[in-house]
Amino acid sequence: MLTWLIALPVIAAAIVALVPRRLKELHLPLGVALAVLPLALAGYVFWVFEPVAGYQFVSTAVWYEPWGISWSLGIDGISMPMVLLTAILVPIALAASTSITRRTKEFVVYTLLLEAGMIGVFLALDLFLFFVFFEAILIPMYFIIGIWGSDRRIYAAMKFFIFTAFGSALLLAGIIALGVTYADQFGSASFALSDLMNVQLSTGAERWLFAAFALAFAIKVPLFPVHTWLPDAHTEAPTAGSVLLAAVLLKLGTYGLLRFNLSLFPEASVDAAWIMGVLAVIGIIYGAVVAIVQPDLKRLVAYSSVSHLGFIVLGTFALTSGSLQGAVIQNVNHGLVTGALFLLVGMIYERRHTKQISEFGGLQKVMPVFAGFFLFMIFASIGLPGLNGFVGEFLILIGSYATLPALTIVAAIGVVLAAIYMLWAYERVFTGVADKEENKVLSDLSIREISLLTPLAILILVIGLYPNVLLDKIAPSTEAALDHIEEQTEFVIPEPGRLGDVLVAGGDEE
Amino acid sequence: MIEITTPDVNWIAILPEVALALGAAGVLLVDVQWKPATRVLGAISAITLLIAISFTFLQWARAGDALEVGELDQLVAFSGMVVMDGFAVFGRLVLLVMAGLGLLAGWRLVESLDRRGAEAIALVLLATTGFSIMVASNNLVMMFLGLEIGSISLYVLAGLTREKTKADEAAMKYFLLGSFASAIFVYGVALLYAGTGELEILAIRQFFTAVIVTRPAVILIGLALIIVGLGFKVSAAPFHSWAPDVYQGAPAGVVGYMAAMAKIAGFLAITRILLRGVPQLDDSWLPLIAGLSALSMLVGSIIALVQSDVRRMLAYSGVAHAGFILTGIVGGATTGMLFYVTVYALQLIGAFAVVAVVSGPSSSGSPIDEYRGLARRSPALGAAFAVLLLGMAGLPLTSGFVAKFGVFSEAWANGYGWLVIVALLASVIAFAFYLRVIVAMYMDETEEGKVVVSLTARWVLTLAVVGTVLAGILPAPLIDLAADAFPL
Repeated sequence: MLTWLIALPVIAAAIVALVPRRLKELHLPLGVALAVLPLALAGYVFWVFEPVAGYQFVSTAVWYEPWGISWSLGIDGISMPMVLLTAILVPIALAASTSITRRTKEFVVYTLLLEAGMIGVFLALDLFLFFVFFEAILIPMYFIIGIWGSDRRIYAAMKFFIFTAFGSALLLAGIIALGVTYADQFGSASFALSDLMNVQLSTGAERWLFAAFALAFAIKVPLFPVHTWLPDAHTEAPTAGSVLLAAVLLKLGTYGLLRFNLSLFPEASVDAAWIMGVLAVIGIIYGAVVAIVQPDLKRLVAYSSVSHLGFIVLGTFALTSGSLQGAVIQNVNHGLVTGALFLLVGMIYERRHTKQISEFGGLQKVMPVFAGFFLFMIFASIGLPGLNGFVGEFLILIGSYATLPALTIVAAIGVVLAAIYMLWAYERVFTGVADKEENKVLSDLSIREISLLTPLAILILVIGLYPNVLLDKIAPSTEAALDHIEEQTEFVIPEPGRLGDVLVAGGDEE
Repeated sequence: MIEITTPDVNWIAILPEVALALGAAGVLLVDVQWKPATRVLGAISAITLLIAISFTFLQWARAGDALEVGELDQLVAFSGMVVMDGFAVFGRLVLLVMAGLGLLAGWRLVESLDRRGAEAIALVLLATTGFSIMVASNNLVMMFLGLEIGSISLYVLAGLTREKTKADEAAMKYFLLGSFASAIFVYGVALLYAGTGELEILAIRQFFTAVIVTRPAVILIGLALIIVGLGFKVSAAPFHSWAPDVYQGAPAGVVGYMAAMAKIAGFLAITRILLRGVPQLDDSWLPLIAGLSALSMLVGSIIALVQSDVRRMLAYSGVAHAGFILTGIVGGATTGMLFYVTVYALQLIGAFAVVAVVSGPSSSGSPIDEYRGLARRSPALGAAFAVLLLGMAGLPLTSGFVAKFGVFSEAWANGYGWLVIVALLASVIAFAFYLRVIVAMYMDETEEGKVVVSLTARWVLTLAVVGTVLAGILPAPLIDLAADAFPL
């Protein structure tokens, strides 16, 4: 069944590709309609997903025996929310792309292929397969940025590709090294995650491999100081590209850290926790400070991503129940909120053809619905209680305090800074008097646009009010990840951090 | 069929070469006698290649039988001159298939040559004969003969369009530098002979198992010269400087064939000599090959970045690929190397088929500007070239990725982790220049200039693209075949 989750978007892409080019109007609606199929399947998987540890719906087929590679898919509490998020956002991002009028067909095809790749990354249980998806994603994204981006699109696409390809190279070196070591120790080749977890590594080797994997994923996250590709890629990408980039592609990094670094290199993860924590906190503060001074609305949201993803990395390496659950759920939250923010920025850009904050002002009166949605998303982003951002950040901060107290206190400043840059941007764009002529005649959101934003807003509200809808399914898997670390190392999770139930209840209080 | 009369003349071992040589002679004679349409000559060459290919299947079966009963000496023929092991048969098969594709890809060039078309076809068959002998030789002198038959045919092919000064220059350069490299190779063979008293690769190996050489200086110098000579043929850095000029100047229709043949034969020869002739000396040659490999990858990738001509870029990418393939030899195994050489040769012929379509089959040079907007002007051609370039870049789901994964794993397992890391970084640099071409094709909106893709080019491109994708998704059959094709 999981194979279908990957196959459906590919089939959809093939169908769209077969529609002749002259039926231009048909490509986008057809793409959206077909993208609903994987969503339905993902929804079904979510529905029948059992809240237990371990992988479910595992399907394995040998790919090439002598090399030990297999088509091995499975889903657990860490990957399930990501798959669902991807499946939700692709049709929305496609439906929001009506402004793409040239080469629509190619655009839809690339987006659907991108979806297949992204879902594949989250489902792969074989490192070779994982890498195949991880790298294959670059191509459609590269085309999406490079063909439909704005002025400096080629520069941005190239930067995006080379940065991530550099990370992938290190990742591949790490995967090869692990595979060779496994073959040495066990006499047969395998790249299955469950097998490679048994490899005995010397401390030195483990640290090197950890570093290779961590750097590859850190570039994807992106973590300070390898984040510089992100603002360019985001700013130049078309709306759908930005949405998927922020909401899903960046999560490949945080997902990778959580899935592979923690389970394959537990010792090194514990040792390097504070380093990753420091980098994460630098990212939180740095991203927030830079976001404050951005004159460009899209760049502001992009830098806010750097900041928010810092929280996820911090939570991942704080290694407590609360922080890990927070990290997983914040992956989803950030995807929903930032995806929505990029949609909103895209909508205003389509009307005014500018993203400069100074060009706006007083939009509240001209576009009340738009302003309402924007404010809602901003509140979710800065973590207003009752909305999803709060759940994630609260869990991360309270969970991380147990193991990385000093860093957590600094990180908390990031929450305040987020309020500053978001609200200040809101103030400049929406409040005051609309003194520019162009701004006075802007039309408010259409029904279509509202219908794109509403599902996201509902999900944000649902997760904010009742996070257990996800947390119940996430918790067993994150607990299992922690168990694995405690088994493999001398690390003991401090007392308040291990009481996952208390924290989940704590998350409920708002 | 030819009857096997005496046990020491195993005709089967050279049947493909006999067929090829007869075919080449046949093409020339038919042309002189009847002056038929070029199509007829093409048909003759196609039949020749098909016959030769069917002989390789026969050889493959024979080699398998001999291995099963353990009578390995049956595989050595003509008093140790040639061997019929899986390695040789696999190499031959790849050479023959690539020759067929190369001829198809250059068919428009052959047609445009008029009466000289027959020469071009005969030269292609002769070059294939030479390289085919080269991959099957057990004797170093025999190997040299094969190398020269192949190389001299290629020099002439490079100058086929002799009216063009560029092509003339390319042919001259190729000839002078190539002869120089051949001379170095022979000198190396002579020194190796002086040091060991043997010319046969299998005998050289036995020599080292029986004798402990206390002063191997002469042998090592000889070996180094052999590596230099063959390194030139496969355009490994620092012996690559001829490649960009030749790839750029020679008529587009034949460049893919030239490059692919020389590389296949060269790498198989290096592998056979090093891994089967002097494995005991690997302490000495492994670091050397690793150094050449690292240098080739870095030089090729970095210089390719600044090329504005697609052919020069492909030439430098070939230097980088030479480095990648050498990592397979550093890995001490033949499987990854054979797989890599096969899929790369296919990509190369496909890529130059695109060049021949875009810039014209007899053109010299192919500036990147000619590719602007190709994805709009001819979507299928653009997509085919994109797939081939991504395959060369080694993106997953293409054969290039599997190939790289194979040789890198072998090198890592053999203790050359640093080389793998250099190789991976070089591949990242390489992405940048492959992407430049894709940027020109896809992200430029130029719509002028209709491109006409000939039927033969379509065939070649379809096969190259299908092969590249298929070997990337289902590599198992080809890897298995390559794994069975180990040298004696």
